Amino acid sequence: MSRMRLAAAEHRRLRLRARLRRELIGWAFLGPMFFFFVVFLLIPVLGTGWWSTQFGGLTTGTHYVGLDNFTRLPDVVGATVAVQNTLLFALMSVPLILIGSLLIGLLLARISRGGATYRFLVYFPVLVPPVVAALIWLFLTNVDFGLFNEVLRAFGAEPVTWLGASTALPVLAALDVWRNVGYWAIFFVAAIIGLPEELYQAASLDGAEGFAKLRYITIPLLRRILLFAIVVATIWGLQVFDTALVLTNGGPGTSTTTIVLRVWQYVFGSNNKVGYAAAISLVFLVAILILTVIQLYALRSRRGED
Amino acid sequence: MAAQVIGRRSPQDAAAVAEHQRRAQRRGRIIGIGRHLVLALICFILVAPFYYVVLASLKDSTGIFQYPPKLIPFPPYFGNYERLLTDTAFPRWMLNTLFVATSVTVCKIFLDSMAGYALAKLDITGKRIVFMLLLLLLMVPFGALIIPLWTLVYTLGLLNTYWALILPALANPLGVFLMRQFILGLPRDLENAARLDGVSEFGIYWRIILPLIKPGLVVLAVIIFTDQFMSFVWPLISTSSDDVELVTVGVAALRSHGGVDYGLWSASAVMSMIPIGIVFFVLQRQFLARSLAGALKQ
Amino acid sequence: MTTIQPAVPGPATSGPAIELVEISKRYDKTRALRGVNLDIESAEFLVLLGPSGCGKSTLLKIIAGLEDPNDGEVYINGRLANYLRPKDRDVSMVFQNYALYPHMTVGTNIGFPLKMRKRPADEVASRVREVATLLELTDQLEKYPDQLSGGQRQRVALGRAIIRQPVAFLMDEPLSNLDALLRVQMRTELLRLHRRVGRTTVYVTHDQVEAMTMADRIVVLRDGVIQQVGTTDEVYGRPANRFVATFVGSPPMSLFPGRVTHGDGGARRFQGGLTVDLPAGPAIDGEITLGVRPEGFHVVGPTDAGAIEATVELVESVGADEYLSVRMGPETTATVRVESGSGIADGQRIHVRADPAAVHLFDAEGNRVPTEAKHP
Repeated sequence: MSRMRLAAAEHRRLRLRARLRRELIGWAFLGPMFFFFVVFLLIPVLGTGWWSTQFGGLTTGTHYVGLDNFTRLPDVVGATVAVQNTLLFALMSVPLILIGSLLIGLLLARISRGGATYRFLVYFPVLVPPVVAALIWLFLTNVDFGLFNEVLRAFGAEPVTWLGASTALPVLAALDVWRNVGYWAIFFVAAIIGLPEELYQAASLDGAEGFAKLRYITIPLLRRILLFAIVVATIWGLQVFDTALVLTNGGPGTSTTTIVLRVWQYVFGSNNKVGYAAAISLVFLVAILILTVIQLYALRSRRGED
Repeated sequence: MAAQVIGRRSPQDAAAVAEHQRRAQRRGRIIGIGRHLVLALICFILVAPFYYVVLASLKDSTGIFQYPPKLIPFPPYFGNYERLLTDTAFPRWMLNTLFVATSVTVCKIFLDSMAGYALAKLDITGKRIVFMLLLLLLMVPFGALIIPLWTLVYTLGLLNTYWALILPALANPLGVFLMRQFILGLPRDLENAARLDGVSEFGIYWRIILPLIKPGLVVLAVIIFTDQFMSFVWPLISTSSDDVELVTVGVAALRSHGGVDYGLWSASAVMSMIPIGIVFFVLQRQFLARSLAGALKQ
Repeated sequence: MTTIQPAVPGPATSGPAIELVEISKRYDKTRALRGVNLDIESAEFLVLLGPSGCGKSTLLKIIAGLEDPNDGEVYINGRLANYLRPKDRDVSMVFQNYALYPHMTVGTNIGFPLKMRKRPADEVASRVREVATLLELTDQLEKYPDQLSGGQRQRVALGRAIIRQPVAFLMDEPLSNLDALLRVQMRTELLRLHRRVGRTTVYVTHDQVEAMTMADRIVVLRDGVIQQVGTTDEVYGRPANRFVATFVGSPPMSLFPGRVTHGDGGARRFQGGLTVDLPAGPAIDGEITLGVRPEGFHVVGPTDAGAIEATVELVESVGADEYLSVRMGPETTATVRVESGSGIADGQRIHVRADPAAVHLFDAEGNRVPTEAKHP
């Protein structure tokens, strides 16, 4: 026997109205951004899936071919080469980036003066548009007056063709390292500074010196951050495009043609391979999504291990 | 190692302790100097290319090929810059880039802070799903989107317009997460107190939340502005005429279409770095805050 | 269709200031509040007391409109408030963490509610001055919250709440962030303020000393259910169940289990040896618990009537009194209060007796069994 004075039905109605009002307010704030997100990000992602089942050109019309594009993918001209190049590139650049930035981070975290200046200088290359960075490196690698060869000449060595068929990809990787090491360096500096001081003091009391501290304290504590950095740096590395286009335009031959570059060539180069491009994109997308999920999973677990 | 006895020490003990301290200090100083040396070397390697390009931009074509090269450009040759500013559409590109970057930044500031507020504090069915979606597509490679995006913009008839450059940029979810973090960090119950005080829901956002996350807004603005300055793939495929083109695309075009002109190229490289360079110098802390924030969040 | 209008601002009309009818609230699987019915009288200082998680803060938020109940009705000044927005309910709130606006001065913080209701600027200014004088904040008006001490911040939060002269003030553990000395001072300040301003106040705390010193009436809550509503004397002297009996009062009441059959009354022995005369009655059947507060024991000689032997395990002095932790049996302990200077020491054997007028009885469910019958 309820002592309430308003009928249950009336309550339901009013409650619904209040609920609706709150929902509306919530969506009023979230809506605009979400709208752009859905239209310009979510739908395109789904769209890639649709496009990958098509065959034809972007503006010349296409027709449905089911999953043909995927089955033919390994044979598609340049697809495997692109994947190989990209993987090789990532394999070269990501470890160097992380080791270099970790080193810089360790040094920067411990010095007492001039930190701001170092940070500014180290971070500067990060802010340069990749296109401009590639342009700069064109200068550095120029056979006749490039900085690299000038330095070699100063030491009496022979000038090298830096952008040749076998050297272009490593040079591209070096460019990437040069550009990105600063970003991660700052990242690690913050992480290292955030480590509890007492652990190091305790370790000193226990007799640990320099390298031992690094090995037994710093690295284990940074494990989660390192994992995050590895995954994210890899994801970024795999998407290399701007520099490959401007520095070497995928060449010489196809030695620096990366996945995204290949996709771009298929879409805007020869006109009727849109399906292939989309198929490549989709596989690429899924691969990156998997990496993202790995990263999220690795971060979510183990709350009590710090 | 010498015995630390409270009270008197023998003179030999005191001397031993002093010597040990001196040695430790010296070791510390050497390590400190070593650190600085290595850092200085690394910084030199990172920054040298810039100087080199600036150098090249101030030389004429004979000067560039000269060996041994002059390390100090005296007298400086401004011809490259003249040509850049008068013979190419560089000024227009720069204008376009500044316009697009500013527009996107201003829009995103409000869009993302509102969305961040909603996710942090408001009641929405499916909030978790929305959150997951945003998180999942955060890392989507742009290269995978160019086909459908291009088609979409083409169908809307917006190719080669400012809209094509501005609208898709509004879809990036990074800002939302940043804003949400900042808003979650505000003191508890602020919105509740405001509700009781008679503030409208929008008023809470405008009068209470926004002013209190100003530092976060600056960091966000800095991130978005720089991202816009660096974007290349999308502007490349969505624009084709000078009056809309951005600096990155224009500079790349110089490289691929204009024939070999090192002077011009180096000048364009230098000029395109100036705006961000200035902003970076002025707002150093905010720039670095992005990486710092990312690290601390883990 | 009922038209819901915002509450009329100003002192309460006749009848309770706030009525809660069958309020219940669920968070996912847990029930925060169950079937809460409560009338809060006009101008009374009502305290919601209970351990953490008992639902007292939730109840306060439901009154304020910051949370919605799953079921039930809230009436403020006689009008249904369920579907009114917080600002239309004519209540104000002091939050545990004060929730002051960090980017506004003290003066702006205090005047903010009036400003939001579009009061003219000079009215706002003069009211702010009034309130600031009342709370001794006139020198802080131009400062920012982060420049103030904890006690000052708390007063700013108070100022912001009282400036509007609402039907009721809601306070969510406002003193728990202050240090002990300040807390006691502010307690007196708050009470004095209440006497002066004379408005209904609903005050949430987990500190039973605070509750007892400040409240006109106390509502004891546990797991979302009201255990007892009453004055300090009623809650302390006639606790409705075992939970209230042990929660209110420090050191807590000592409990002694016992068994009775057939409610026939008479002298009964409880665990530990205490013997008490029980009244007759059907309520007394089966498991019974005897409760005695520390001051209900007296230290007596070994030959006195009702004396039980006990070994002192610990003596704690709190200034004017001493509390003895004594052991009366292998599983029976109790707390006994004596005056300071008793000279009783650890390990000593003493004899204690329970004052028959001061015992409490609880049945198998833990509910109070009235013992008034035996004492005219």
